[in-house]
Amino acid sequence: MSSSPLIQTLDVKKTYVTESVETPALRGVSLELHKREFTAIAGPSGSGKSTLLHLLGGLDRPTEGEIFLQGQPMSELSKDQLAKLRLSSIGFVFQAYNLIPVLTVLENTAFVLELQGVARRERISRAQKILSELGIEQYADQYPHRISGGEQQRVAVARAVVGEPSIVLADEPTANLDTATSHDLIDLMRRLNEHKGATFLFATHDSRLLDRVNRLITLIDGAVAEDVVQRPADARIEAAAS
Amino acid sequence: MKAAIRHIMRNRRRTTLTLLAVLIPVYFLVMMFGFANSMMQDMFDSVTRFDTGHMQIRAEERRGTGLAMPLMRDASDALGALASVDGIEWSTVRLDLPALASVGEETRTVYLRGVVPEEIDPISNMAERMVSGEFLTETSDGVIVGEELAELLKLQVGDEMVLLGAHPEASLGAIRVPVVGVFSAPEATMGRTMVLASLSTARRLARSDTAATAIVLRVDGVTGPSDTRRMDEAAAALRAALPAGYEVKDWLELVPFVTGYLRILTPMMLIMAVVFFGLGALVVVNTLYLSVMERTREIGLILSLGASRAHVMGMVLTEAGVITLAGAFYGALVGVALVLIVEAFGGIPLWGQMAAYMKEIGISPVMHMSVTATQVLLSAGAMAVVAMLAAWLPARRAAKLEPMEAMRYVE
Ligand SMILES: Nc1ncnc2c1ncn2[C@@H]1O[C@H](COP(=O)(O)OP(=O)(O)OP(=O)(O)O)[C@@H](O)[C@H]1O
Ligand SMILES: [Mg+2]
Repeated sequence: MSSSPLIQTLDVKKTYVTESVETPALRGVSLELHKREFTAIAGPSGSGKSTLLHLLGGLDRPTEGEIFLQGQPMSELSKDQLAKLRLSSIGFVFQAYNLIPVLTVLENTAFVLELQGVARRERISRAQKILSELGIEQYADQYPHRISGGEQQRVAVARAVVGEPSIVLADEPTANLDTATSHDLIDLMRRLNEHKGATFLFATHDSRLLDRVNRLITLIDGAVAEDVVQRPADARIEAAAS
Repeated sequence: MKAAIRHIMRNRRRTTLTLLAVLIPVYFLVMMFGFANSMMQDMFDSVTRFDTGHMQIRAEERRGTGLAMPLMRDASDALGALASVDGIEWSTVRLDLPALASVGEETRTVYLRGVVPEEIDPISNMAERMVSGEFLTETSDGVIVGEELAELLKLQVGDEMVLLGAHPEASLGAIRVPVVGVFSAPEATMGRTMVLASLSTARRLARSDTAATAIVLRVDGVTGPSDTRRMDEAAAALRAALPAGYEVKDWLELVPFVTGYLRILTPMMLIMAVVFFGLGALVVVNTLYLSVMERTREIGLILSLGASRAHVMGMVLTEAGVITLAGAFYGALVGVALVLIVEAFGGIPLWGQMAAYMKEIGISPVMHMSVTATQVLLSAGAMAVVAMLAAWLPARRAAKLEPMEAMRYVE
């Protein structure tokens, strides 16, 4: 693998405290994630997958340990700086409710670019381009509630990559989709990974999706139980061709 | 901006409520201004046209004249000084004498006001005020009385009245005069006490050919109670020109009760504005809080995508701003429209007790309305500012949401 990791975690622990009940969600996770990887986090419910993704995305802070994004320790960033970091470097796809209901598909996709301060004309053309790359340009002027769940998740992926983040974090993006649609969505992400070099890290329950990844991290009880590099990212095409 | 407008369209009921919360206070305030202005204008017109003029030149107050005005034996020096001052549109000499008036068995204390009929007629509009009989002429030796006094003295046009002059500085005199007319005074107290005669008749009662108590003036360009600057300038010029022994009093000094009304009017309007604006602000805070609560997940999403807190705050404030501007605009529009409609129909006539009360304080029993552009802009602008301040709280609350907690929020 390449020399300096995109993300590095050092003994990250997270304990939720609610009404004096302490829930240890992560019990010391040390990982390195590299550019162009297509990684899945698997593990039973409650094992800490979502928690880890939130910490990596700067949506929450670890109780202990440190996370480095491109060598920069995230604990040193203020709330506003974290927001800026999310805007510039992280793309999110959530399980559901990804889209702003009052904006059209095109506007939702361009929203991140708007926040980034990209000029109007450019953000529309970039959003249109990514929508057509993902084969959903025909929905550009639809509102989210008018399109199917699978289509909504595609739009969410489009929005996550349009700002060209360093990494896309997806928390069970297929949880509400049927099997065929789930496969389509993962294929879509995989294509973006292969053709555009986008780095993906997604959490999933669904073991049927795991044959497409080149790295699989399994969490159990808030700790890494297994970390398998299945195929090098660049070898995937050759493997498919043979 | 686009999102703000779509949010506004999405929940029309709440938007309408917020809009009304801004619109109604503005509308009410414009209306209150409308009534207050025209009440003041009305009082000003009736008092200055019928009674005080814009200002008067009088002999300086002396002790011992009691309720009577100090007498000017010969006002020609004052009239000379007056001729040298610019900006006086109109003037007339008047002699007011306290007197006893008897008709048949009835006797009342009255004011006999000697006037130059031809001069006061166009200003006081006496021809229209006559209830029965005729207005005075310069040569007539008759008197006219207010309708209230006519009733108290049980007199008819054509009856004889005996007047006993009671001015402490004039010789006692008594005259017998015919009552030639009955008029309607703009204010009930005047109607009970006022007897109008020609200046020569009044001078006959005072036994002096030159006596006067006031030179009544109207100032060029003064049309309403707010033209104080012109009046003050004219008063200052007069004071400078007049010889010793005279003083200048403006209408507010001459009718202190109007000053009283003026003084309570502003705080009253303020209190009403505060109450209305306060209620409006409460509704704005509430509806906007609801709107923010309802959108907690959406705001969480926007924050997790990396929007700054300022951005989220700006979003909520934009939404509030659009509604507020629309509300203030339409409130002003509806208010002004109402004023125009009321005036197109010639005002709102009052009846019964209300009409009688209005007459007591010198206001015509037909309510008119008028507003100035400044007052409309002030009402709309102040409400818009209040509404935006009220929107600040929900906006800040939205900006302070934690993205992950907000995303988990279930309605
Ligand atoms: N906000 C929170 N407050 C308190 N406890 C929490 C919170 N979020 C998660 N937890 C707890 O932390 C542990 C890990 O939760 P997490 O959501 O990371 O698991 P997960 O692997 O994503 O599970 P799932 O597959 O069900 O999504 C669980 O025991 C959960 O109950
Ligand atoms: Mg989860």
